Amino acid sequence: MKFIEKTNLTSLLAQLDAQYRLLVPVDYHGLTQFAPYSQVDSGVSQLYLDGNVTVSPKTVYLPQSEAMYKFSAQGKKLAIEEMPPLDRMQVLFGVRHCDTKAIQCLDKVFLDDTFADPQYKDKRDKTIVFSLACNNPKATCFCESMGIDRAHAEQSVADVQVYDLGERYGFEAVSDKGQACLNALNGMTDGEAKLPEQKPQSISFDAQGLPEKLKEMFDHPIWDEYAFKCLNCGTCSYICPTCHCFDINNKMRGTTGLKLRTWDSCMFGEYTQMAGGHQPRPGKKERVRNRFLHKLQYFNEKHNMSLCVGCGRCIAKCPVNMDITKFIRQVIAE
Amino acid sequence: MPNTFAEIQNEMRNIAKELLESGEATMVIGWEKGALPYQSTPVMIRSAEDVDKLIWDEYCQQNLSTYLIDYIYTDEKVAIFAKGCDTRAYNRLIQDNRIKAEKSIVIGVPCLGMKNAREAAKLPEGAEVPMANACKECRYPNPVTFDRKIGEDVTPWCTERDFSDVEAIEALSADEKYAFWQSQYTKCIRCYACRNICPACNCTSCIFDQSASGWCSKDVNASENQFYGVTRAFHVAGRCIECGQCEMVCPSEVPIMLMNKKFIKDIDSLFGAHEAGIDIDTPAPLSHFSVSDPEEFM
Ligand code: SF4
Ligand code: SF4
Ligand code: SF4
Ligand code: SF4
Ligand code: SF4
Repeated sequence: MKFIEKTNLTSLLAQLDAQYRLLVPVDYHGLTQFAPYSQVDSGVSQLYLDGNVTVSPKTVYLPQSEAMYKFSAQGKKLAIEEMPPLDRMQVLFGVRHCDTKAIQCLDKVFLDDTFADPQYKDKRDKTIVFSLACNNPKATCFCESMGIDRAHAEQSVADVQVYDLGERYGFEAVSDKGQACLNALNGMTDGEAKLPEQKPQSISFDAQGLPEKLKEMFDHPIWDEYAFKCLNCGTCSYICPTCHCFDINNKMRGTTGLKLRTWDSCMFGEYTQMAGGHQPRPGKKERVRNRFLHKLQYFNEKHNMSLCVGCGRCIAKCPVNMDITKFIRQVIAE
Repeated sequence: MPNTFAEIQNEMRNIAKELLESGEATMVIGWEKGALPYQSTPVMIRSAEDVDKLIWDEYCQQNLSTYLIDYIYTDEKVAIFAKGCDTRAYNRLIQDNRIKAEKSIVIGVPCLGMKNAREAAKLPEGAEVPMANACKECRYPNPVTFDRKIGEDVTPWCTERDFSDVEAIEALSADEKYAFWQSQYTKCIRCYACRNICPACNCTSCIFDQSASGWCSKDVNASENQFYGVTRAFHVAGRCIECGQCEMVCPSEVPIMLMNKKFIKDIDSLFGAHEAGIDIDTPAPLSHFSVSDPEEFM
C-alpha cells in the first residue's frame, strides 16, 4: 500500500490535476456532486469527502444532457458533425463502492456484447477511478444488504482503491491503469496497513430470493399501498446511480441543430407515451411498480445482478420518503 | 382537549377509526413514521385495524390536501389531516376547482411549526433541530377551514413576514443578481419535485411535460432551468400559500422561496395585501382583474 498524510491531499490532487482532467466530489452551494478540481482550486466549491454525493458519478459517463452530434442544413444537403471524443485521460477521485457497482450496472447496458455505446465507451476507457471505502456509512446506506463489498470496490470499475486511515490515506492499485497512475505520483510512502474499521450499517436485511418473489407479485396490492404517495417527480431516478433511461431530442436554431441525449424517468408522463397518445403506464401505480421491478427483478433476470446498489440516495431525497428498503423487507416477509 | 403530540396522535387514531368503521370515509390519509427519525411520510389507511400506523410529530410537514386531486373522479370519500398551511392549500384547490368539498373530510390540526428535516439530516444525532424556514414565518398555524378539529388553537408566533432575504437580493446590481441566480439554477436537475409537491402547481397538464411543443427543451442547463424556475414562480404568484415545501424537497437546495417571496412582496405592493387560501371567496390577485389595477406598462 502507498500512503499520504491527509494534510498532503491537496498536493496529491494538484499533481493529478496537472496530468489528467481531475473530477472530485464537491459541495457547490449545497449540492454535492462530482465536478472538475478547478472548482475547488478557485474556491467556487469545497471538496466533499464526508459521505456520498447527492448527484451520483453516473453524470461522468452519462451526463444529464449530452450532445450526440451537430447537424445543419446546407441547401438541400444535411451536414453532420460528430462530437469530439475526450481529448485526455480523466481521473475520477473518491467514488464510493456502491457507485462502482452502479457503474458496472451501466456497463451491462451501454457496453452490451452486441453494441458498445461509443460515447459511453470513450469516457469509460479514458477514466481512472479512485474508489474510496466508507468507514462511516450514512443512516440511509444499505449497500451491504445489496451484496456490495464494503472493503473492496467493484474490480471491473475501480483502478485505485483508497482507504481512509485516520491521519493518512492508503492507496492500492487494482488495475494496471491504476498502478501506472500511482507510480507517477510523488510524495507517497510505501508500507503495510491494516484495513480500517467500518461501522455497521443501521439498515440491514437479507434480500435472498427477492427477484423470484417479485415475479409472482405483479398484481399484488402492495403497489397501491406504496404508490399512492408518490408524486411522480424525477428525484429518485435522477439521483440514482443506476437509473439510466434517456430520451433523444433535437434542439434547433434556424438551420442548425443539436441531437441531444438527456436523462429521462419512468416516473414522467411523456415516458413510454406512444404515438397517438396511448400511455401503457398511465398512473402512479404502474410507474412505481416499473421502477421497483426494474431495480429488483427485471435487471436481475437479464443481467444477474441487482439494479439497486443500496446507496440510499432515494431514501434521503424522495420528497415523500418512499423507502425501498421497507418495500424489500415487506416483500421478503410476504 | 388533546394538545400534546401524543394526545393529538391518539385522537387522530380515534377519529380515523370512527370514520372508517362508520363508513363515513373510505380512506384516511395521514402521516406515518418514515425511514429516519426526521422523516414522516404520508400513509393511506383503509381499515380501522391499521389506524395505529398514524403518527403526529414535528416532521409531519407534507401537505396531504393535494392527494385529494387523485380521487376527484372516483367514488372515494377521503379524510385528510390538515395543518394550517394544508387547509390554505385545500382552499386554493377548491378555488381552482381541482377538488370537491363533498368528496373530502378535513380534520384540522393546529400546528406548532414543523422542524427543518433537511437541516436535521446534516446535524449530528440528538442535536437541536431548528424550525423549518417557512414555518418560522407562518402566520396561520391554525386550520382556516375544517370539518372537524383536534386540539386547541395555538397562538401564532409570527405576525409579519421577514423580507430581509428578498431585500438583500433586490439590493444587488443586475450583474450580481444574474450571477446569483445563474449559480443557483446551474444546480437544478429538473426533477420537478418542487412542482409536483406544490398545491399551487395543480395544472392538469404542465408546459414542462410537453417537450415537443418547443417551449422548453429537455436540455438541462442554467438558462433553460431558469426559464423553468421563473415560469413556475410566475404561475404560482398570488396562489402560493407559502408552505415552503418546494424549497424543502429540492435535492439541489435551490432557494426557491426567495423568488416566491419576491412575488408576494410585489403583489402586496401592487394590488394590496393578499393572503392566498385563507378563505375561498377572495380571488387570487392575478386570477381576475379590476379596472383600478395598475397598468403602467400600457
Ligand atoms: S418515489 Fe419519491 S422521488 Fe421517486 S417519483 Fe415518487 S415522489 Fe418522486
Ligand atoms: S434505488 Fe435508491 S438506493 Fe437503490 S441504487 Fe437507486 S438511489 Fe440508490
Ligand atoms: S451505500 Fe455503502 S458504499 Fe455507498 S456510500 Fe453508503 S456505505 Fe458507502
Ligand atoms: S410555490 Fe412552494 S411555498 Fe408556494 S404553495 Fe407551492 S410548494 Fe408551497
Ligand atoms: S426541485 Fe430543485 S432540482 Fe428539482 S426541478 Fe425544482 S428547483 Fe430543480
